Amino acid sequence: MAKYIGKRLLHLVFIMIAVSFLTFLLMYLSPGDAAAKKLNAQGVAVSEEIIEKTREEMGLNRPFLVQYGDWALKALRGDLGESYKDGFAVAGKLAKGLRYTSILALTSLALAFLVALPLAILTALNKDSLLDDITRLFSFAGNSLPNFLISVLLMYFLCVKAKLLPLTANESVKGLIMPCLALSIPICGRFIRQFRAEFLEQLGRPYVSGAMLRGVKQRYVLGSVLHNASISILTIVGLSIGTLLGGSVVIETIFRWPGLGKLAMDAITNRDYPVIQGFVLFTSTVYVVINLIIDICYSWIDPRLRKNGGGS
Amino acid sequence: MMKKLLALLLALCMVLALTACGQKAAEQPAASASSGTGTAAASQPVQSAEPKFLNMAVNFAYPSLDAHKDYYGWYTQIYGVTETLFRIDSDMSVKPLLAKDSSVSDDGLTWTFVLADAVFSNGNPVTADMVARNFQRLVEVNGRYDDWADFSFEAKDEKTLVITTPAVFPTMLVALTDPEFAVMDLDGTTDFDNAPVATGPFVIKSFKPEGDVEVVRNDNYWNGAVKLDGATLYYMPDADSKLMAMQAGELDCYTSVDAAAQEIYESDPSSYVLTVIPGTRMQFYVLNETRMSDKVREAVNLTVDCEAIASYLKGTTSAAVGPFIASAPYGQVTKPAPDPVKAKSLLEADGYKLNADGYYEKNGKVLELSIAHYKSRQLPDLAVLMQDQLKNVGVKATLVVQEDPDAGYVATGDYDIALYCMIADTGGDPYYCVDALYRQSGKWAKAGFPTDETEKLINKLQFETDIDQRAALANQIVQMSIDTNAFGYVGLFNKVSVARPGVTGFSENIPFDFYGLTADTDIS
Repeated sequence: MAKYIGKRLLHLVFIMIAVSFLTFLLMYLSPGDAAAKKLNAQGVAVSEEIIEKTREEMGLNRPFLVQYGDWALKALRGDLGESYKDGFAVAGKLAKGLRYTSILALTSLALAFLVALPLAILTALNKDSLLDDITRLFSFAGNSLPNFLISVLLMYFLCVKAKLLPLTANESVKGLIMPCLALSIPICGRFIRQFRAEFLEQLGRPYVSGAMLRGVKQRYVLGSVLHNASISILTIVGLSIGTLLGGSVVIETIFRWPGLGKLAMDAITNRDYPVIQGFVLFTSTVYVVINLIIDICYSWIDPRLRKNGGGS
Repeated sequence: MMKKLLALLLALCMVLALTACGQKAAEQPAASASSGTGTAAASQPVQSAEPKFLNMAVNFAYPSLDAHKDYYGWYTQIYGVTETLFRIDSDMSVKPLLAKDSSVSDDGLTWTFVLADAVFSNGNPVTADMVARNFQRLVEVNGRYDDWADFSFEAKDEKTLVITTPAVFPTMLVALTDPEFAVMDLDGTTDFDNAPVATGPFVIKSFKPEGDVEVVRNDNYWNGAVKLDGATLYYMPDADSKLMAMQAGELDCYTSVDAAAQEIYESDPSSYVLTVIPGTRMQFYVLNETRMSDKVREAVNLTVDCEAIASYLKGTTSAAVGPFIASAPYGQVTKPAPDPVKAKSLLEADGYKLNADGYYEKNGKVLELSIAHYKSRQLPDLAVLMQDQLKNVGVKATLVVQEDPDAGYVATGDYDIALYCMIADTGGDPYYCVDALYRQSGKWAKAGFPTDETEKLINKLQFETDIDQRAALANQIVQMSIDTNAFGYVGLFNKVSVARPGVTGFSENIPFDFYGLTADTDIS
């Protein structure tokens, strides 16, 4: 197992180099640069001489490989540099964004999971019942409605009409409720569909009908079904964690939640390479580490995988 | 095993959420506490005996309050924290603020300013030496003011500041209205990023970098009584959030109301007061003389109906004649009314004939014009509307969208029609815009407009000190750009503000984006 984890972590290094290099290259090739964006931020024209001087000061006129190499060497020493836009440390910006994104992502995921799992089990056991129909309708709606529409509907009913929650309360428990709901509704819809399909597949397996025929109690059978479905469930949940930790621009903007998504979008708009690079390093690490954790969990759940070396 | 995993996951989520949110809950703005919750405070009438707190939304948020850096001064001024030597009034005139008098030497190189008896919020007096050091610091820390590196700033005595320029600089007073020329107590400020000490009617109570800001009255304010006790400025970039926060009673006012919200507010005049004034941000297009004949360019200008476009954009813009507000002395230009019939005849006179598809063509080649634009400031809407209007007279237009116009079509000159949006008037003088648009060395020169004659006029404008003469020169230059069909000025963005009845004085009548709270801001 240790060898396997070591190998995966070694892969992470190559992935981070490749992803950061490609991102840097793409940003370098795209038109515009941080100097012009910074100076013209409010629509005030600045002379080309001043833009060129700023470009020089920021080191944007250096060859691509020099710029990338300089950034990579600093990153290796743990220094992600300063934002081109405002000169503040990238690490601090990412840490703040990560803190808020983690809170939002994990609470949304927990809420979605807690609602979806029992509903999926119930609907799988009562296929084509009224509950199944209603749940599927919710699942379809949750999946189909775009985030911004769900957000606007929540704001209208919970803030404007019912006045239950304030729109100005960001960065607090009250401020967390609405973005959490807006983010968890589509996830919940997706979870219900995927979990239900997995349970239905497991319920159709011969070991289930065999156990039922032998008179094994339903709760024991369900325990086995849940255990056997857990690998798929873990994969679905794990992938969602990775996506959610990348941040959600729409929801963070609407609900004024200072997470990673908006930070990354602003950085891309402003050609703020150090912040973009820091974000890319972070997200690629999250994806790899979460996949690794999931793989380790697989081997805990299914001893057969452990014998094969721990990987899926 | 699954149960344990689940329990662990849930416990982790809850601990993270509660720990982090709990910390932040304690840091919530105290304004809400003193004024009740945002909802309650705004929805209940303010009693005269009760503290007056204003809840306002702003569109941008910055990581620092250091007024000299970047564009942060725009927001410290909106928050009512910093002030400049001069300010621009609603009639676009420059009015003294921290300076009570100014004069310029006969050679135009030495400016003398007499300062008002202002004090900082910590009680320290504003001295000429402090102002000089502020300006020196601005030039050092803000790249946009590199041009000022050759200026000298000297304190002649306690209250007299002398600025010497290497060349005649007629727009000095206008330049000093830039929010970046804020005067801070450089010795009394220990944390420029979070708590600058300045002269404005308000002082910072709490500041979340790139988030909300809370200000309270400056008890040492030098320029009259401050009517509000404080204000919370919420960073709300999303238009729907602002609309709904206003409807929920959580906000008292904000500017930059979008078209959809404007309609809603207009339908309920008893609850909302809308103020719509022409702003300084201009939508315009450049017609490429190197790719279109004189007649084709004239036909395009006669086709584009700015009034129809402004009407479609539902009050967010006003139809423009030139780049400046028509009431300004340097906004006195004229342009022909839209005339599609004349446009067609011009195309026919240029050898074009209508084909079976309804488009003009010459020598078997359809007249097809590219409209280059970028996705901002309603330019995509403008591009589609122009495309439709051109189609109606038989001109085929294709839309080209680029993410960064300055690095793209503006730099290469690869367009027939280039749409753009910029602030045309930064402070009551035409030179900034004229210099940016019509110079032979400027970024639009590739389209072919600037001539030796325009360059000569612009050079004259640069050093002209007489205000009437400056306006006359600007009008002459802009008129040339219209008469030669080099430019088309489509619209000036309106500054649209909304407030609850009784909320006044949050700079809703000043066209510039960088004014907000003042001593006169009030909830009655």
